[in-house]
Amino acid sequence: MTDTTTHSAKGLTMGQLAPWVIATAFLVAMPWIFASNSAITIMNQMAITIIFALSYNMLLGQGGMLSFGHAVYMGAGGFMCMHVMNMVQDQGLPLPLPLLPVFGGLFGLGLATIVGSFSTRNAGTVFAMISLGVGELIAASSVIVVSFFGGEEGISGDRTYGLPVFGVEFLRQIEVYYLIAFWLVLSTLLMFLFSRTPIGRMANAVRDNPERAEFLGYSARWVRFYSFCASGFFAGIAGALFAINYEIVTEENLNLGLSGAILLITFLGGIGVFFGPIIGAIVFTLLQTVLSLQTELWQLYVGALFLATVMFFPSGLAGVLMMHVPAIKMGKWRYLVLPYVKTLIPAIFGILGVSAMVEMMFHARHAPTGDEEMGLFWMTVDSTSPLPWLVAAIISVVCFWVTRRNAPELVAAWHMANTPDGGSA
Amino acid sequence: MTMHASNLTAPALDIVGLRKSFGKAEIIRGIDLEVYKGERHAIIGPNGAGKSTLFNLITARFAPTTGSISLHGQNLAGMAPYQINRLGLSRSFQITNIFPKMTVFENVRCALLWSKGYKYSFWNIVSRSQDLTEGADAVLEQINLAGRRNLPAGVLSYAEQRALEIGVTIAGGADVIMLDEPTAGMSHSETDYIVDLIRKVTENKTLVMVEHDMGVVFGLADRISVLVYGEIIATGAPEEVRGNPKVQEAYLGAALEADH
Repeated sequence: MTDTTTHSAKGLTMGQLAPWVIATAFLVAMPWIFASNSAITIMNQMAITIIFALSYNMLLGQGGMLSFGHAVYMGAGGFMCMHVMNMVQDQGLPLPLPLLPVFGGLFGLGLATIVGSFSTRNAGTVFAMISLGVGELIAASSVIVVSFFGGEEGISGDRTYGLPVFGVEFLRQIEVYYLIAFWLVLSTLLMFLFSRTPIGRMANAVRDNPERAEFLGYSARWVRFYSFCASGFFAGIAGALFAINYEIVTEENLNLGLSGAILLITFLGGIGVFFGPIIGAIVFTLLQTVLSLQTELWQLYVGALFLATVMFFPSGLAGVLMMHVPAIKMGKWRYLVLPYVKTLIPAIFGILGVSAMVEMMFHARHAPTGDEEMGLFWMTVDSTSPLPWLVAAIISVVCFWVTRRNAPELVAAWHMANTPDGGSA
Repeated sequence: MTMHASNLTAPALDIVGLRKSFGKAEIIRGIDLEVYKGERHAIIGPNGAGKSTLFNLITARFAPTTGSISLHGQNLAGMAPYQINRLGLSRSFQITNIFPKMTVFENVRCALLWSKGYKYSFWNIVSRSQDLTEGADAVLEQINLAGRRNLPAGVLSYAEQRALEIGVTIAGGADVIMLDEPTAGMSHSETDYIVDLIRKVTENKTLVMVEHDMGVVFGLADRISVLVYGEIIATGAPEEVRGNPKVQEAYLGAALEADH
């Protein structure tokens, strides 16, 4: 997202406002489109993950800091929010639920201020190792400091503690959805604006070239520190929303597993564009919820997708989308449609063929003896008989062969679509 | 042409007894140098003389082994690069050192932020600050890159990147500008272009410039210091230095041999 609007410094343009208006309208409308309770649960999870991933990208994408312990700030915000929730309930304080994420955010900010004071001295490997160490340290203390982290059971609470806020009791999922959606829009807007402030711009500068930034009067260390604190704040908000949504926070909300997952999500979506982590969070949450109902091996597929992204599309899903912007601007995207159909559809079927074999293998190895039937793409097949294996293998081989044969056509079309008329690009 | 500022006022840069060793190798072997306010001072010398080391010592990339460096009378010992920059010293780099992913305009705007007082602000939106936009555009005009304003800096030609490097160096309004071999790797015409640019943008400023080739700085510098094996063997006006037998022996002879 380069800054192309600097010429008109005064007044907001439609182009600047439109994405926000559309996204907000979309969020308001979603529960009518997907009205089931499970869909709303998935959307809540998605929104929380989006805030978390965007906060992580303030470090990784915008500040060039690879953290292996970002879940700590989310978890800390979650635990704090839960304690505040329980305290407010016990004391009967007049603090409405929608304001609780502020406390989660402030606690995340406080913890990030402490850790950042020594971890942001360096970027690179030193920063990564410190984040890993701190992450492990706090995850370990969650079992030790039982009064704060609640040991293995974690801490639970009741979000319906207070008097209704404008008649809303937060009993139903949909009410929580709108609470989360409000914080999602607010946090995303603030994080976006942060990236446009002097400190946000210098975070990019320090990421690309810390030495140069120092000779422009900025301490690379302090620039990293402020980004780190801001990132901790928004991670804390995500944690608080998690606490409100699930009414329980455990060690799983701050351990290394979650820290790794958020790295994966952010990278999958793309760290180079602001909205990249949003895509990553949506895709990952869908895989985590929808795909995991279909197959026990969902993590294998997520891993394969992640690997493919790192190896072939290091700019992530958002990067792949952005690659098409020049062709669309030149009105030449039409050239790409047919070649895409001719390569992607066989490729998808090829991948499905391979995954069918993987599923059959898993079933044949792990199902109890005698249970030979398994569900596979709305069919029932016998995982021990050779026929389904043969079919799957043939489909994969043929489809990949077709993909390969049609690939040069796509490359040629790509080149044509990205070449301006009357000259070579 | 020489602008011998009154010795009563502190020199822009004052280097006293400067030494720097890396392990057992002493690269800078006792340098005393005064750079007057408002002069253009070139430090020349053959390869391996320690020019870049001296440059990096002044700008706190390295810490001196012994000796002191003062900027406007203030000792720079123990300061970080960003602190020195805030005192009014800005430097360029021998290897082009810009922000390649940012646009040309953004590169210059980043260089303006601190001096315009934005510091670590997280409540201003940079694109809505008129003074930044105007300031950056003025610098782009000065370095003749206005036509490249919205391109990523990484796609500029080498000479253009060098010009941008100079623009980024001067944008913050520092009064002491240090350029490290700004014409390295350039053709003759490109070199002439950059030298003219340097002359233009360092008007009324103090310039310290490290250069391998004496010809480049001859028309530009008010004074030249010749650095050989970590020592300054001569300082003076260009004509004076060129006529100095020690310089001819140690530097120009070697350079002539290398050239022909």
